[in-house]
Amino acid sequence: MWQMVGRRETGRLPPHKFRALLQKTRLYSIELAGHKEIASAHKSGVNSLQQIDATEARYLLSGAADGSVAVYDIEQATAYDHSTRTSKHEALFMVDKRVLNGHLYSVSCVHWYPIDTGIFVTGSFDNFVNVWDTNTTQVELQFNMSKKVYSLSMSTLATTHMLIATGTDDTRIRLCDIASGAFTHTLSGHRDSVWVVQWSTRSEWVLVSGGCDGAIRFWDIRRAGCYQILDQQCSQIGRRPPVLKKSSRTHGREDNLCTKYLNASSPIRQRGQKRSFGISAVDSRTAHYGSVAGLQMTADGLHMISAGTDSRLRLWDVESGCNTLVNYPSTYIRGNKGIQMAVTPDSSLVFTPSLNAILVYDVWSGHSYSSLRGHYDQVNCCAFHPQGQELYTGSNDRKILVWAPRRPIDIDNFDYEDAEQAIKADEDAWSD
Amino acid sequence: MGDVSDRIGRPTDNGQIGIIDPDCRLIGLHLYDGLFKVIPIDSKGQLKEAFNIRLEELQVLDIKFLYGCSKPTIAVLFQDNRDARHVKTYEVLLKEKDFADGPWVQNNLDNGAGLLIPVPLPLGGVIIIGEQTIVYYNGFVFKAISIQPAITRAYGRVDADGSRYLLSDLTGMLHLLVITHEKDRVTGLKVERLGETSAASTISYLDNAVVYVGSSYGDSQLIKLNLQPDSKGSYVEVLESFVNLGPIVDFCVVDLERQGQGQVVTCSGAFKDGTLRIVRNGIGINEQASAELPGIKGMWSLRASSKDVYDTFLVVTFISETRILAINAEDELEETEIEGFDSDAQTLFCQNVLHDQLIQVTASSLRLVDAISRRQLNEWRAPPGLSINVAAASSSQVLLATGGGHLVYIEIGQRELIEVKHVKLEYEISCLDINPVGEDPDRSYLAVVGMWTDITARIFSLPNLELLTKHSLGGEIIPRSVLFCTFEGIPYLLCALGDGHLFNFILDVNTGQLSDRKKVSLGTQPITLRTFRSKNATHVFAASDRPTVIYSSNRKLLYSNVNLKEVNYMCPFNSASFPDSLAIGKEGELTIGTIDDIQKLHIRTVPLNEHARRIAHQEATRTFAICSAKYIPTVEDMETHFVRLLDDQTFENIASFQLDAYENGCSIISCSFTDDNNVYYCVGTGYAIPEESEPNKGRILVFLVEDGKLQLVAEKETKGAVYNLNAFNGKLLAAINHKIHLYKWTLRDDGTRELQSECGHHGHILALFVQSRGDFIVMGDLMKSISLLIYKPEEGAIEECARDYNANWMSAVEILDDDIYLGAENSFNLFTVRKNSDAATDEERSKLEVVGEYHLGEFVNRFRHGSLVMRLPDSETSQIPTVIFGTVNGVIGVIASLPQEQYMFLHKLQQNLVKVIKGVGGLSHEQWRSFSNERKTVDAKNFLDGDLIESFLDLSRSRMEEISTAMSVPVEELCKRVEELTRLH
Repeated sequence: MWQMVGRRETGRLPPHKFRALLQKTRLYSIELAGHKEIASAHKSGVNSLQQIDATEARYLLSGAADGSVAVYDIEQATAYDHSTRTSKHEALFMVDKRVLNGHLYSVSCVHWYPIDTGIFVTGSFDNFVNVWDTNTTQVELQFNMSKKVYSLSMSTLATTHMLIATGTDDTRIRLCDIASGAFTHTLSGHRDSVWVVQWSTRSEWVLVSGGCDGAIRFWDIRRAGCYQILDQQCSQIGRRPPVLKKSSRTHGREDNLCTKYLNASSPIRQRGQKRSFGISAVDSRTAHYGSVAGLQMTADGLHMISAGTDSRLRLWDVESGCNTLVNYPSTYIRGNKGIQMAVTPDSSLVFTPSLNAILVYDVWSGHSYSSLRGHYDQVNCCAFHPQGQELYTGSNDRKILVWAPRRPIDIDNFDYEDAEQAIKADEDAWSD
Repeated sequence: MGDVSDRIGRPTDNGQIGIIDPDCRLIGLHLYDGLFKVIPIDSKGQLKEAFNIRLEELQVLDIKFLYGCSKPTIAVLFQDNRDARHVKTYEVLLKEKDFADGPWVQNNLDNGAGLLIPVPLPLGGVIIIGEQTIVYYNGFVFKAISIQPAITRAYGRVDADGSRYLLSDLTGMLHLLVITHEKDRVTGLKVERLGETSAASTISYLDNAVVYVGSSYGDSQLIKLNLQPDSKGSYVEVLESFVNLGPIVDFCVVDLERQGQGQVVTCSGAFKDGTLRIVRNGIGINEQASAELPGIKGMWSLRASSKDVYDTFLVVTFISETRILAINAEDELEETEIEGFDSDAQTLFCQNVLHDQLIQVTASSLRLVDAISRRQLNEWRAPPGLSINVAAASSSQVLLATGGGHLVYIEIGQRELIEVKHVKLEYEISCLDINPVGEDPDRSYLAVVGMWTDITARIFSLPNLELLTKHSLGGEIIPRSVLFCTFEGIPYLLCALGDGHLFNFILDVNTGQLSDRKKVSLGTQPITLRTFRSKNATHVFAASDRPTVIYSSNRKLLYSNVNLKEVNYMCPFNSASFPDSLAIGKEGELTIGTIDDIQKLHIRTVPLNEHARRIAHQEATRTFAICSAKYIPTVEDMETHFVRLLDDQTFENIASFQLDAYENGCSIISCSFTDDNNVYYCVGTGYAIPEESEPNKGRILVFLVEDGKLQLVAEKETKGAVYNLNAFNGKLLAAINHKIHLYKWTLRDDGTRELQSECGHHGHILALFVQSRGDFIVMGDLMKSISLLIYKPEEGAIEECARDYNANWMSAVEILDDDIYLGAENSFNLFTVRKNSDAATDEERSKLEVVGEYHLGEFVNRFRHGSLVMRLPDSETSQIPTVIFGTVNGVIGVIASLPQEQYMFLHKLQQNLVKVIKGVGGLSHEQWRSFSNERKTVDAKNFLDGDLIESFLDLSRSRMEEISTAMSVPVEELCKRVEELTRLH
């Protein structure tokens, strides 16, 4: 550490690399945080967590199976325990079915409005998507999806639209417009329920969805229909098409899908002509055997990780649509709803809920770094806080746990007892 | 022009790469991981729209274009997931906007491979430089050679055909790499060691074995490669060195000469090029001799004969006598006599003139004296009732002014004085000059006269004393000194007023017209102007309460202050024993000294041959203490750390204290404790064991300087590296890893002292930077911006009162005043935060409000309070507090806290300047100065760009007027305000 600071001072280590290296080293030592505790306000399992990144990265939003939604301030503690040196973060407020138009059943997904913390959006098994005003904690707008809502997403990039993409028990994906309060798009293609939807982190027009039919579809909302379906068998990444055989490209759609499709500026060049082939075997491509339970794009939008109920994680090269065949060992993913994974902003690590633990993998090699154990029941969701490098996880055991890079507990003579207690208290905190 | 940045993308870890195809078909950029940006160039040389190509390699180390390929081809050096390194080639298909596999691939290279050198035709291919091997490959021929382990950082091509290259490694060793070949077929590689230079960042082979070595760790050098090695076996001869202050790791501001002027002593350079640099503003006078002589009223130097090279006599005049000093055989100044001179009157002027004669002007007469016999030859007496007030002369002319406004022009002949012309002006004359500025060095055709009453400068023609120009100076202060002089071939008229202001004009020698009037303020007292020559250039010395040297560079007049308090008179005195010296008359003292090179900043280098990391100065013992590391180049990363004591005048190493193995000196301060009169050096250390990511052991060492020795008085073991130490109300505040500790200095029963822990504060990631003021502690965290802590003496506890919730990665902090704190962060930005102690809610009080943001573009390592300029107690600028910063690139800068009114004024000026002054390449100033890091980009606020504002003074008059109209403030006023600002540094 001192050497790194020294190398930064002399300019041998460029500041941005210093930062990246340090973040990485810190991430590898992530463990249950002894210094921070979130007092979960929920009476049943926590299904969804989200942190706002855009403005302050300070407020955590959680949705639970009892229909309640709570907001926590993760920077400023509500109470501080000097003996254990833990800061306790209680919910700033909680809303549940007692609020007018509050959710009656399990809240499956929560999302902050990407611009500020004035609005948040929740989806629930009671078929409603609610838009809340944070200041009044009232429902401002409701969308009746008439099916269980599994997932919703808002684009953090969007400058021209304010659409909530929703994945429901229906095969269709619908986009709800907050501005008008109406549905603007219906995207059909999936053959079963859609458990996950996520906006691209590269283009504000691109939406990715994963369904129970095992398919992952890419949609450009400016055009009709989906333009890419990921195929787990298509794995020839790195193989460039031989230049001279360019002319033979029109034959096989196989080839086309494996070559470049998506350019940052114009995601769907030449797509129109390909649509004319009509429905074929293409539509039955699958990304997973089983349902697609989780999708997470890397921050630069070049790669995507998907999780399936076939207990596999797959890393996809988004532009070519290729399966990179990175093997992430020993995951266990089952269940009847989607999970929320998290990828660090530098795309080095992925956090995946797997039964009671959260598994940490290197994104590129699939090497398993650790498995974070602390929850007593199935873990549903992870949210990563990039500035503090903290991981927040929610589980069916009703708890929200904080995982942070290790802090050395120094035992100096004058606070020896304090530290001793801190360790004990740490152990206690586990076993309730 | 366009912008190649993408809104989304992860910036590359290994730095941006920008390369141009050797056949100029495209520009390639690697800015974001996974993407290769291409800017096509068409046949007319126009840039086309850029596009990205997906690059699958994740950890790219280097990309280069290959020579001689029909399609543009890149070679990519990359590292895979298993940390193995490979080179792959791609052809860039401009039409398809994609890559195609290139002609060859080379897998599994040296693990330290880090540099690609494309080899031009006829050989083609690339050289891959590793840490242990150098490989040549072109798809067919593979040649490898093993080398001494070295990390090569820079290369330079010697021949156009690419058969020889210069390589430089981190230790500064220069090697020659030769590709041996038979015609176009490469037969092998050869490496030869040439010698040592500064650790190079760039190498440019110029011609004729002359090479420029650019270094970011030491001085850049111009070297010559000799055919034969010298006695040490080195082929390298250093021709010239170019000063580089970077990287400034630490510095302190001291006043070594105790003149009220700060100097900066920096820890500069890295590794073997480590040095201390003493940076001083202004021009220094190196005193050679001095004598007590109160009441000096004027000084001139005279040569014994016109053939002499050196001056012999120094004429010093007093209120009612004139004394002549000369240097005797013992190199001492001795009083002597010139018979023909009137020694019982005050001399107004004297000079060597034509025909080996001297002149002396007193109030009553002008005497012509033979230089050899020293007898009076002739005399011109002032008319009865009138006394001579001022006089000036060239080698052949004298111009006198007497009371009543009489102006008398006299020509000097052999043994005679001829009164040529006499005019009477309407007012009294205050000053005049006839220094020749035309082609004839002995004769002037113009005279300038400064007037009382109407406050004008008038230009007369000689010899007939016709008025050519009358220029009103305005105001009520009379001109006290006027001077013609030529800088860089341009004739100027300088006119100094009684209140320390100076006008300068460009003079038309033929018509006597004045143009380009500029006014500056040099001091507050009357100025006397004198020319002198140094290093074959003419300069002007303005003697006043703030002595200044006026010189010209790039056709612009520059004013550099001299490091003397007050000078009344000055004259050049170039004698045999004191060559190129100046005689300076101060209050009660005559000094003879040489003058530094005429430039603004003076840098003295003290080579250490080891890397100084921290520095502190102790006034009481007049010493510096540094923490330094000595690298042993042969063993990888092996270094020994020392605490060294240096004398603050000679910079000699007086004493050293070697630290334990792996122990690094991390911080050092000079401080004293309550109940103890001694002043100590406290050193904080950390044990950096290679396997440990975070030091978990360190020490605080307390040293006392006694008889030039470092006495270890006390030591205290800590549970981590002591990143920072601060004197805190007679106690010691230490930042140890993620904690802040307060230690008190206690007396043990046996009379010895020890540091005892009193209280602490934790909860930080890494407390890297700490400053304190009163009971307040301002802490810069590694990644959590600034926090404000308070020490509560009654409770004996440190508590957090407020913090900035932004996630800034800090590189330095400083306290500007009680409420405002300054921080520098990882992405080259500066920001200030304000304590909100008056806020209504707890929430607001606990938050440090961000008040200022600015992109500096430099990585700041250290802030220190202080100033590089002499602070005059009565000037306005001395009220403005300044902070000096030092950066990785070797920049020293000044941040001044301006009063609100001045800020508003200058802010308006800056806004107007931005419209007139266009940035290099049309880049927007506003965009460049916007605070920008990974998380956000916002416009700069509450910071002004001093460099931009000062460039106002370089503008042409018409553009100045343009701005003046836009601001509705007169140009003079604007100049004055901006000059005030320049006075800060």
